[in-house]
Amino acid sequence: MPATAQGPASRDAQPWPRRERGFSTDTLESLLLSLIAMAAAGLLFGVFLAAQGHDALAVYRTLYLGAFGTRFSIESTLTQAAPLLLTALCTLIPARVGLLVIGGEGAVVLGGLGAALAGVALGGASEVVGTVLTIAAGALAGGLWIGAAGALKHFRGVNETISTLLLNYIAIALLNHLVSGPIRDFSQTLKAQSWSIPKGFMIGNIPGLSVHWGLLIGLVVCAALHLLVRHTTFGFAMDILGGNRRAAQMTGLPIGRLILIPCFLGGAAAGLAGAIEIVAVHGAASESLVVGLGYAGILVAFLARQNALAVVLVALVLGGISASGGLLQRRFDIPHAATTVLQGLIFLCVLASGTFRGRLLPRRWAA
Amino acid sequence: MTGTFDLGWWGVPLAIVAGAIRVSTPYLLVSLGETLTEKSGRVNLGLEGTLVLGAMSAFATCYLTGSPWLGMLAAGVAGSALGLLHATICNLPRVNDIAVGIALFIFGIGLAFFLGKPFIEPRAAMLPGLPLGNWSDNPAIRSAFEISPMFFVGIALAIILEWGFTNTRWGLILRIAGESADAARAIGLSVHRVRTLATMAGGFLSGLGGGFLSLYYPGNWNEGLSSGQGLMAIALVIFARWRPLRCFYASLLFGGATAIGPAVQTVGISEGYYLFYAAPYLLTLGLLIYSSSRTRTLAGAPSELSISR
Amino acid sequence: MNSTPTPSPPEVEIADLSKSFAAVRALDRVSVRFRAGRVHAILGENGAGKSTLVKCLMGYYRADGGQILVDGRQRLMLHPRDAHALGLGMVYQHFTLVPQMTVAENFLLGRERLPAIIDWGREHAALDAFMTRMPFRLDPRRLVATLAAGEKQKLEILKQLYLNRRFIVLDEPTSVLTPAEADEVLGEIRRLADASLLTVVFITHKLREVVRFAQDVSILRGGKVVAQTEVVAASEPSLARMMFDAPASAEKTDRSRRSASRATDPYLELAGIHAVGDRGTPAVIGASLSVCPGEIVGVAGVSGNGQKELVQILAGQRDRHAGSVRVGGQAFRGTRRELERWGVSLLIEEPLANAAVPSMSVMENLALRQFDRPPIAIAGFVLKRRALYPFAHALISRYGIRTGSASAPLQTLSGGNIQRTVLARELARAVRLLIMQNPCFGLDVAAAGEIRRQIMRARNDGAAVLLISEDLDEVLELSDRVLVMASGRISYETDRAGADRYEIGRHMTEGMARLSA
Repeated sequence: MPATAQGPASRDAQPWPRRERGFSTDTLESLLLSLIAMAAAGLLFGVFLAAQGHDALAVYRTLYLGAFGTRFSIESTLTQAAPLLLTALCTLIPARVGLLVIGGEGAVVLGGLGAALAGVALGGASEVVGTVLTIAAGALAGGLWIGAAGALKHFRGVNETISTLLLNYIAIALLNHLVSGPIRDFSQTLKAQSWSIPKGFMIGNIPGLSVHWGLLIGLVVCAALHLLVRHTTFGFAMDILGGNRRAAQMTGLPIGRLILIPCFLGGAAAGLAGAIEIVAVHGAASESLVVGLGYAGILVAFLARQNALAVVLVALVLGGISASGGLLQRRFDIPHAATTVLQGLIFLCVLASGTFRGRLLPRRWAA
Repeated sequence: MTGTFDLGWWGVPLAIVAGAIRVSTPYLLVSLGETLTEKSGRVNLGLEGTLVLGAMSAFATCYLTGSPWLGMLAAGVAGSALGLLHATICNLPRVNDIAVGIALFIFGIGLAFFLGKPFIEPRAAMLPGLPLGNWSDNPAIRSAFEISPMFFVGIALAIILEWGFTNTRWGLILRIAGESADAARAIGLSVHRVRTLATMAGGFLSGLGGGFLSLYYPGNWNEGLSSGQGLMAIALVIFARWRPLRCFYASLLFGGATAIGPAVQTVGISEGYYLFYAAPYLLTLGLLIYSSSRTRTLAGAPSELSISR
Repeated sequence: MNSTPTPSPPEVEIADLSKSFAAVRALDRVSVRFRAGRVHAILGENGAGKSTLVKCLMGYYRADGGQILVDGRQRLMLHPRDAHALGLGMVYQHFTLVPQMTVAENFLLGRERLPAIIDWGREHAALDAFMTRMPFRLDPRRLVATLAAGEKQKLEILKQLYLNRRFIVLDEPTSVLTPAEADEVLGEIRRLADASLLTVVFITHKLREVVRFAQDVSILRGGKVVAQTEVVAASEPSLARMMFDAPASAEKTDRSRRSASRATDPYLELAGIHAVGDRGTPAVIGASLSVCPGEIVGVAGVSGNGQKELVQILAGQRDRHAGSVRVGGQAFRGTRRELERWGVSLLIEEPLANAAVPSMSVMENLALRQFDRPPIAIAGFVLKRRALYPFAHALISRYGIRTGSASAPLQTLSGGNIQRTVLARELARAVRLLIMQNPCFGLDVAAAGEIRRQIMRARNDGAAVLLISEDLDEVLELSDRVLVMASGRISYETDRAGADRYEIGRHMTEGMARLSA
């Protein structure tokens, strides 16, 4: 006969207090810390530029103009931000179970390769089916790539940061090999690229905006992921594992699944980004897939403090910085690498700001 | 590399050996530097950025001053500056040293490309090599055995470090900071200071490795100069079980693996070039899988290291 | 290396020492005199205050009140360095050696000044010479990680002698030693004291050691000295009586008349469990036990004898090398479905580290077992976060968890409230198997009483209860059957009627002596 232990005499359950809704102090503090970090990084960047003899304020203004100043720049920003929404997830999702995965670059490449190959192979299929399967193939390829790293971690204890970083380089080498020989389209003389997927499989722009549908796909995936993490039992289980592995073990959670699936999902998201690069931008696989989307995604994930909704905001900011790179180059003769410097500075400041977690804002937890 | 028409197929192993010596030098320097850092209990994944920044600094300084040795010094200084940055941020409580490494990787590369833009075209003086192959008339052998003194510096360092870890006070202090921060503090050491110095020294050596790349082989500065050598050095250190002499052997192994591609090309095989190019990474991954275990921590790893926990 | 003549061992006296941690009074006006050149044992159960006492003496803690006198002069111990400077040293229960370094390196590291370049030839020779004067010998070139526990213990003691400490405190020195090694170590210590080279204080719970090797003994209980005597005037039974005396107030729990009928099949069965501990040494050796519905089986034992590893196996946090676990007659692997199906609840020690998620809120922690079932989950997949609030609030008020907000991170709560949270989570469901490990550790009397009432209620309602506890009072008060775990084995069993506390206490402390190494 089952036993139910009773506590001290029950009182009526208290009504749900109003002040528990809304922003928690943790979220507010995270936001504040990220803002402070970005401001600090921006300041340091300004000093750096001034030391080079540039007018820092003018540069700031141009950064803004190039990112959000005109319709064209907004569209550029959105175009730059679109893949970041997805590659950030490659770091973010495994981070929630306590893994530090930095394999976004490799997953993007695999996704692009997978999509290109699938698109070519499915040459005769109808447009809708072909497009969907092409994109799906890319996502699958990316998912398996990072999923493999997850398996190495779970079954063999291989450090996932190093393994995914190595997989990045291996993926790039694979891409270069395939694209320069076995799947090369020799009719293209400008650069080495693979056979092109059928024109009908390409996706166009969002009506009214010169930005491809990939942006929407990215937004939808981020939203879906946020739902998964916050509003499903699987997401809750992920939080438990990321919070305390022993607690996850003693409540009987399936640890293996909780490691492999997030790795697969993260890889699939980045693979999706790669596939979108194929179906929305390039139409064929080439070294244009290797432009640092993965690494920028890592930064987005950290800056967004592993929160899928914040990723949208952060991707916009970083996309804006990337978008204004060209403008900076033309107006001030600042090398494109300046945006990388700024990204690195932001990343460092964000990491340093993490030391103030829990100490910046007062808490009202006293019992 | 000159033609091997005299040697025929013998050109391939010769090229591999020569390549191994040449290519292993930056691996050697970087891995020795990272061994120092990791022995003190810190991981510095930003070595790729340090390497590239060092390469740029060396080339730029050499171009501006005409002295390759001054360039190497600049490379070392730049490397230790990044190392100082890494250590300072990681010394803050609750900061993840692996993440900081990635950030420095991005920052270092960005900085290097930014400041190095004006130096891509011009040529600078090169580091001299030691002509150890002059006993032969064959130009291929001659060039194969022209070895940079940095290679010997690396060997000397490996020997000194291997000896120094056990036979000097500094070695002992370094190791205790990496094995047990508690024990270190208990005997009055400042763990932060030890790790900062170790990371700076590691950065200096990595910078030197980068300088080698731009001032000797391949001997120019461009944005594709390094491709993961800094990272592979991390895996190399794990494979070498944090022992400097083993770093030397492993560097030769990696150098050889990297040199297979170009060596094979000299006899006209150009198919699958990129696959050979992937060889060192695959090797690294394989070694990593081999060395890891689900339940045991990596044998020989300094206990305070975050990747070994 | 020292070649100075050894000074005489000091006499240390503690007068009216008191120390409190928050509301807990760990030491209450303790006075002890450690006479020069003698071996003094401090006896007591876990939590009696033995470690606190010596840590105050060594300057790790600052006492709240009282004095420490060394050779008649009052001294302030603000930092271990102060104690070291006076020639006082301590050997801990957990080794302070650096495993990946050699014996010689560990010796050298404790020295004030090291030469820039170490001439190992000379150092090794000096160490060898030092060792010849010492009761035990170790090869200085060996890596500490390769030393057996006994050798590590000897190394720790040698280190103190090497650093010229003349007053040495040993905290449970034989807890990791075989009986033969224990005899050797303690024998040598006694010889050194007899030769007027050392004053020794050792903390122990083993009566046999006290009788054989100590000259004076002080017995601590609840932070107070309850007895002090010379060993010649005592015996094992008299010491056991002084140590395990019944506490002043014992709450009588409501024990229903219904006793577990032995005819029912056991609900929990462990057979031949073997497991290895964190250090790679066997921790659980062939442990077997069974618990029937409606009975409480208590496993008594001193900490460090395999209880932690056994509980970890049951909680799925450690793999077992051999043996089987069966619940309800079926093989048990600890999956979520099995936990739910068999109604298994666990209350593990150090809940924040082992059984809860510190960064998640109280509310979320309360839902750890139920989050994938209605009313919180729909179709086992969708999570209704809103449903967490009433669920959590019901438990918070029912179990009296004091927290400013249900959204507060669990780690911000006090230890007692963290315990209550985990308790609420585990008990507020249909419990048919309850596994508890030191459930009342660190709790005040009222809270502890409440938990014991909960346990009894579960048992009376037919649950099978396994209670693993280092508190013998608790085990005796609650259990229908008592087992003793010592050295990883279940070494004694008795039922409630035949339970004699001194007999059980003796098995707890002598489990190791009975079994050969």
